[in-house]
Amino acid sequence: MVFNSLVFLVFIVLFFPLYFGTKGRLRMWVCLLASYLFYGWWDWRFLSLVVFSTVMDWWFGLLISYQDDREGTEQRFAQGSPVLRAFAPVTRAASSLQWSRGRVLAFSMVMNLGFLGLFKYFNFFAESFAELITFFGMKPNWHTLNIILPVGISFYTFQSMSYTIDVYRKEIKWEPSLLRFATFIAFFPQLVAGPIVRAVDFLPQMYEDKRFSWHNFNSGLGRVLWGFFKKVAIADSIAPFVDQVFDVPQAFSSSHLLLGVIFYSFQIYCDFSGYSDIAIGLARMLGYTFPENFRTPYFSTSFSEFWARWHISLSSWLRDYLYIPLGGSRHGKFNTYKNNMITMLLGGLWHGANWAFVFWGFLHGLYLILQRLVQPVWRGFVRTTGMPRWLDQGVAMLTVYALTLLAWVYFRAGSIGLMGGDSFGTANAVLGGIFSFQNFNFDSIVNKFQAMKGILLIVILLFIEVSNFYFRWNERQLDVPAWRVTGFAVLLWLIALFGTFGGSAFIYFQF
Amino acid sequence: MKNALWILALLLVFFVGDRLVGSLMLRQVDQSQFRYSRLYRSEAAAEVLLVGNSRGLTFYQPYIESVSGKSTFNLSYNGMPMDLAKALVQDYLDRYPAPERMVVDITTCDRENDQLLAGFVPYTRFSPRIDSLIGQKLAWVWWSSRLSHLFSVNNEVFQRALYYRKRSDEDWLLDRVINPELAKSHLDKPSSIGTNPYLTQQFKEMVAYAQSKNVKVELVIGPYYPGYNVVNLDKFKAELEQATNMQVRDYRAALTDPSGFGDLSHPNKNGSMTYIDLLRKDAVLP
Repeated sequence: MVFNSLVFLVFIVLFFPLYFGTKGRLRMWVCLLASYLFYGWWDWRFLSLVVFSTVMDWWFGLLISYQDDREGTEQRFAQGSPVLRAFAPVTRAASSLQWSRGRVLAFSMVMNLGFLGLFKYFNFFAESFAELITFFGMKPNWHTLNIILPVGISFYTFQSMSYTIDVYRKEIKWEPSLLRFATFIAFFPQLVAGPIVRAVDFLPQMYEDKRFSWHNFNSGLGRVLWGFFKKVAIADSIAPFVDQVFDVPQAFSSSHLLLGVIFYSFQIYCDFSGYSDIAIGLARMLGYTFPENFRTPYFSTSFSEFWARWHISLSSWLRDYLYIPLGGSRHGKFNTYKNNMITMLLGGLWHGANWAFVFWGFLHGLYLILQRLVQPVWRGFVRTTGMPRWLDQGVAMLTVYALTLLAWVYFRAGSIGLMGGDSFGTANAVLGGIFSFQNFNFDSIVNKFQAMKGILLIVILLFIEVSNFYFRWNERQLDVPAWRVTGFAVLLWLIALFGTFGGSAFIYFQF
Repeated sequence: MKNALWILALLLVFFVGDRLVGSLMLRQVDQSQFRYSRLYRSEAAAEVLLVGNSRGLTFYQPYIESVSGKSTFNLSYNGMPMDLAKALVQDYLDRYPAPERMVVDITTCDRENDQLLAGFVPYTRFSPRIDSLIGQKLAWVWWSSRLSHLFSVNNEVFQRALYYRKRSDEDWLLDRVINPELAKSHLDKPSSIGTNPYLTQQFKEMVAYAQSKNVKVELVIGPYYPGYNVVNLDKFKAELEQATNMQVRDYRAALTDPSGFGDLSHPNKNGSMTYIDLLRKDAVLP
């Protein structure tokens, strides 16, 4: 089920009264079953994976806790629910293996990443290995498997892994209720495309009695409408232009290609941040607070700032569970660079099983390293020349945006690779076309109506985002009904006037 | 309850604003020089009626009018669906004196195109045929356009009407020269064209309606890029000849100069003029 569909509208209209009309365990069941319905609408067979992953990570948390505090956990077994008691024998049996906590955690990581690897990366690594040994003159003799990528697997795997790691690190207590844990993993607003909500942020909220609040409803609805505007009015409107550019880059002039790449940068931003806005808004209407996932990333003046503003829930996940454990920036320059690069390469691979995504990660790793090298020199230059702050910031912002744009070309081409196309060939054709500067003028842009509409929508987006720095629309919407009515009406008008209502899937579903 | 009042206010503001701005925008459509606005404003009387999809736009009107001295009206649009073409032709013939002749590029009969059909919502106010077509095929678009007037203008047809508000659309044509390398890379990828009983029936009814109004109908296949292969074009042509009991004039290979094309299926301005000269030579056009 996708947010921008009629079936979701029916779903949410039925869900709200059921949710607020129930309490305690019954509400948890309503939430869980609704979330499973939401996910199973796409393909019910893959629900078993979500359930398996949920039970597995919940049990690993239980096992780690058992190793820590055998007596306390035994007491919980005695007093706990039948489900918890059912897991007691297998927990005791596993504990008798005398594995250390670290070993349990490592095993859980292997299991989680093994599943992710099987469903997302098996064919990719098999094909890459086949190409490698063919390169050395040998003939591979095996077949790849026809594996369908389950929607959202990267998101819920990372989410549930964070629980086990946090229990291991003692940042959170293990969750005795499987029902509550399952609802946390499957919670429909964020199940398929994030934000990646960590147990430490979400589970404590599930113990609170959530009552309907107009404050939450109003602010959540505003966020949902803003997300819909970004998705159906902007991202889906400019998508056909972008698709053409990456389908047949040879057919277009330099200026057309450049506009296509600029459009893609806004398409992916509006598509993904739009989804996050809808997820955050829905959760808020239900009384939950999700972490922010985007903070106007294209206004960043450095790459480290960009990654603190883009897909924040993933970048902070990678920082806390990968970059810092690798050593972060603690062991000298070389190790810092190495850790930056490893984190970004794996971040790229997380997005999709294609070398173009890895290359996208490589470029961002490189940018972060270059930034560390160049920034002190640039700061010195700014001080020496007395460059005004606005110019300094403007140059930095444009540089970050331009280099991000370059990397997006490989990212978009990676999606072509996922469909069996030539990702690097496409990316190189797009970049080659742009830098040829042939027919670099507005006249050579094909389908000017789409182009003009896209430009207009991006201007509207930037106007709202920039004005929000000064006027804080979201806060005004909450406090002053007149502002709320005006703001929401404007969003509804924009959606009616520019929206594309085909119920198209969100880009990040493929990751 | 007091807390919910703002939602009622929101609905009220939304609908009032939607109606006000929507009416303003629909007025732009009404006053536009765009072909369909002129059609429904009774400003489209012509001696030669031209019909097609994007390939029909190669009936380059300024040139035809300058060499023949006859007035023309072109109903073509990119990706024109056959059922919509029929509705437009019938609306035209009901509103104006019969033109001398109607020239149709038969490749229009290759598709339904609901997305484009939805774009004609602004004209449902003038055409019961289009209104009923959208109502039957795209009920959700029909209802949404009743709910929101802004939604009615959320389409490319409206944008074109706005663009042509004060300028003529008669020179609307893909005027560029195809990149020879690109053309070469696509020549070994043959395309196909097909019709189905519904489309063929729509085509047949359109032709019969024009003939019943004593309009001379000419059926043509416009030029394709030299060497470009549309694999089942002969079968397609034969089916329509059989359905209409008319001969189709085939110009698919009439242009041999690659520089006369904007892409593989569309002659550019130079190619169009050469094509029109051939049509005139064969008395398809006056």
